[in-house]
Amino acid sequence: MPIKKSRKIDIYAMTWRLPIIIWQLLFFVGPVIFMIAMSFFLVKNYRMMEAFEFINWSKMFSKNYFWDSYFYTITIASISTILAMVLAFPASFALAFKASEQMRRWAIFLLIIPFFTSYLVRTFSWFVILSEKGVVNALLGYIGLGPFTMLNTNFGTLVGYLTLTLPLVVILQTVTMANIDRTLIEAARNLGCKPLSTIWKVIIPLSKTGLIVAAIFCFILSFGDFVAPFYLGGSQEPTLPILILDTTKSGQQWPRAAVVAIVMMITLFSVAFIGIALAYRKKASK
Amino acid sequence: MNSNRILNIVLAAYVGVIFTFIFAPILFSVIFSFNSQRFPTIPLGNFSTEWYVKILNDPDIWQAALNSLIVSSSTAVIATILGFCTAYSDFRYNFRFKGPYLALILLPPTIPLIIMALAMLAWLSKLGMSGQLWSIVFAHSVLTAPFAMAIIRLRLNQMDPDLESASWNLGGSEWATMRYVIIPFCKPAIISGLCLAAAVSFDEFAISWFVSGLNKTLPVVILEIVQGNIDPQVNAIGTFVFLISMSLVILAQIFFVYRQMKSTNT
Amino acid sequence: MTKPLVVFKNVQKLFGDFVAVKAINLEIHEGEFLAIMGPSGCGKTTTLRMLAGLEEPSTGKIYMNDQVMNKVKPHERDTPLVWQSLALFPFLTVIENVEFGLKMRGIDKSERKRRALEWLEKLDIIDFSERDISTLSGGQKQRVALARSLVLEPKILLLDEPLSALDAHLVIRMQAVLVQLQRELGITFVYVTHSQSEAFAMADRVVIMGNGEISQVGTPKDIYRSPQNKFVAEFVGRNNILSGTVFSLTNLGAHIETASGTFSVNLKTNKLVKGQKASFVISADLVHLSHSNPEVQNSVHCKLISEEFVGSMVTLFLEDNSNQEFKVQMQERELSKFDLKPDSDIWLSWSAQSAHLLDVS
Repeated sequence: MPIKKSRKIDIYAMTWRLPIIIWQLLFFVGPVIFMIAMSFFLVKNYRMMEAFEFINWSKMFSKNYFWDSYFYTITIASISTILAMVLAFPASFALAFKASEQMRRWAIFLLIIPFFTSYLVRTFSWFVILSEKGVVNALLGYIGLGPFTMLNTNFGTLVGYLTLTLPLVVILQTVTMANIDRTLIEAARNLGCKPLSTIWKVIIPLSKTGLIVAAIFCFILSFGDFVAPFYLGGSQEPTLPILILDTTKSGQQWPRAAVVAIVMMITLFSVAFIGIALAYRKKASK
Repeated sequence: MNSNRILNIVLAAYVGVIFTFIFAPILFSVIFSFNSQRFPTIPLGNFSTEWYVKILNDPDIWQAALNSLIVSSSTAVIATILGFCTAYSDFRYNFRFKGPYLALILLPPTIPLIIMALAMLAWLSKLGMSGQLWSIVFAHSVLTAPFAMAIIRLRLNQMDPDLESASWNLGGSEWATMRYVIIPFCKPAIISGLCLAAAVSFDEFAISWFVSGLNKTLPVVILEIVQGNIDPQVNAIGTFVFLISMSLVILAQIFFVYRQMKSTNT
Repeated sequence: MTKPLVVFKNVQKLFGDFVAVKAINLEIHEGEFLAIMGPSGCGKTTTLRMLAGLEEPSTGKIYMNDQVMNKVKPHERDTPLVWQSLALFPFLTVIENVEFGLKMRGIDKSERKRRALEWLEKLDIIDFSERDISTLSGGQKQRVALARSLVLEPKILLLDEPLSALDAHLVIRMQAVLVQLQRELGITFVYVTHSQSEAFAMADRVVIMGNGEISQVGTPKDIYRSPQNKFVAEFVGRNNILSGTVFSLTNLGAHIETASGTFSVNLKTNKLVKGQKASFVISADLVHLSHSNPEVQNSVHCKLISEEFVGSMVTLFLEDNSNQEFKVQMQERELSKFDLKPDSDIWLSWSAQSAHLLDVS
């Protein structure tokens, strides 16, 4: 038990507590609040002026391309999330229940590696692999298929998203399922539950929280990524991150980019909030 | 029995497919970096180191590598100091608003980089601090401090809570206790934290690209090359960056896992 | 035992609404071995921590050498503590652990080393001086913890259940080491424990605490033979406790009517009134057995419930027809004379001098 401090200011305690507060106020809270404020600024002759106008909001909200982009981004990020969750599940299941403890640890170590390789380089690599004359089409050519156009399509974008999210999703799913109490599964089997319905009725409910957290992370990553839709999807249908990129980098319209960023943040917080509420509500009602 | 074995084989094969998908781009990037073709495909061209020769003779790449090194090492130091302070505060004290306090440090990695990049660019321009290497360091330390904090906090969890009091009891002031007990105890986690923060910073491109101005780091150079056209130099730089990041990660693992094993043996 | 080294004056400690220690008064003398004993949560460790400055009293004052210690920080005191967890520094070697306190006091390196080696020698762990803490056995760690505190040559050493993690045979060895050290050094030991055997085996005086209060202070014999109240009698165990009302009073003693019968008790200082409620205890080893009614005043007819052997000692658990439980303790060879079977009938008796009245609480 830590000793009770006197009411005076405790210099020692503050030495450790204050740095992060100051630093994050300066370089995290400051930027985010300023970005919110900036969404009300005006741009005249390519110069930003401090103001309090709703013009950026009304301009963006009245544009069809904004709403198209918004729904496209939500749709493709959702598809990416569902795909990642479904594709990862059998692999995670195998790693959690069929692999030995040691194999599982190695698999997880391997899956951490991609986080520390440049996502850009991996995307570029896909760009080459998936191109008209690339490795995939060359291989398919040997068995008389193709060539297929994979770049500059939704398929390309999804390949990029999955490159980003799949390792994380497999790790989270594996860890959650490996932590399930084995006796519960054996009990279900013992009571006559068939293998497939054991997955549905025992394993998935028991790992619900972990699965939802994995899905939330997957959605956040896909929703916020600009590299995959830009390089592999050809940004024919611009996602919100590409919209931010375009408005900032070319148009000098920082306030409008801020509007897009805020809409993105609100969307992500809502998704995360609903997901977490869902994860814990189910847990409590059991 | 038999169907069970078939199922196991199918599952093992499926795991193989997933891992192939995850590692294919990394593997091909390394292979392509030694391939003479400008548009690499199958069958592969000749073995060649021309892309490496090219980047090694490019002063811009050297400058970018140096910049990356400066940014990631400064980031690592700042992020680890911040992470340590916060982890210790969380470990030692209970205070009001501790929840928001912890959220303050843990939130940034959940916000998309492009948004952080825009916010940082706008804010730093407003303060007149954008376009310098330091601008990247400020942003990266916000991004990586949570990783350092998490790893140091885990280490503090392994500490006998009486250890700190024992030092006071033997005549150590709070400051002396910090220096002779807490920091030595956390040392392996501090080193791991430094490595992890450096590795994350070394790879980050979105924020760097927005706020760096003319002081490009390696990932920003990659981004700009990629925007131009297909250039296998990217694979060479990528392989190079990969090696650096991986050695940092493995170092971090060694320090942390080794210590953990040692402490569980006792 | 001369003048008091430490005085607790109405010391109270609250954690939020929880009263950990209730206004205690206690004097600790120079050179004594004092044990503070009680069940877990009784406030004994909090009392010790207040003495070390790790907790500040909520009200009341703690004096050491007539100085008020309440606001003195832990590191400004000279009250080394041997921790239950030992709290040795895992990243330091044995000798570095022992030197730690001296280093904090700014003593130079060669002097530190000389004094640390001296203590490692004295505690018989000199061979391990360069070893890592993690390579030591429990008993060796214990000695390092002792050396780390004693190297500071304090006037008072605090010990918080230091033997609780050791094997039974090591506990006995360490008890001997501790008693010998204390006699040799002549310093005060304050020893917190929940173990009666540890406290009674080592201490000059024992403080019994319960629910944050001091229930009794006295020599081990005092506490064993004359527990002051029900809490102490129950905590010490091996006591038969009977409760009833005072039936009649004489110069010599009182007759107390209980569900098991009316018994006579000698009066010492207790003041009793006829009709008042009263409790008394008889030590389990002062009860006699017989097969037939002994025809004496203090006797009860019982049935044997169970037996428990510890070494050559045996404890019998019996019950009379009012379901009052009795315990009898004797040597095993003595018991063999009786040839007892489960449920066999037996008479218990004791002399009036053996019965000891408790304070009404």
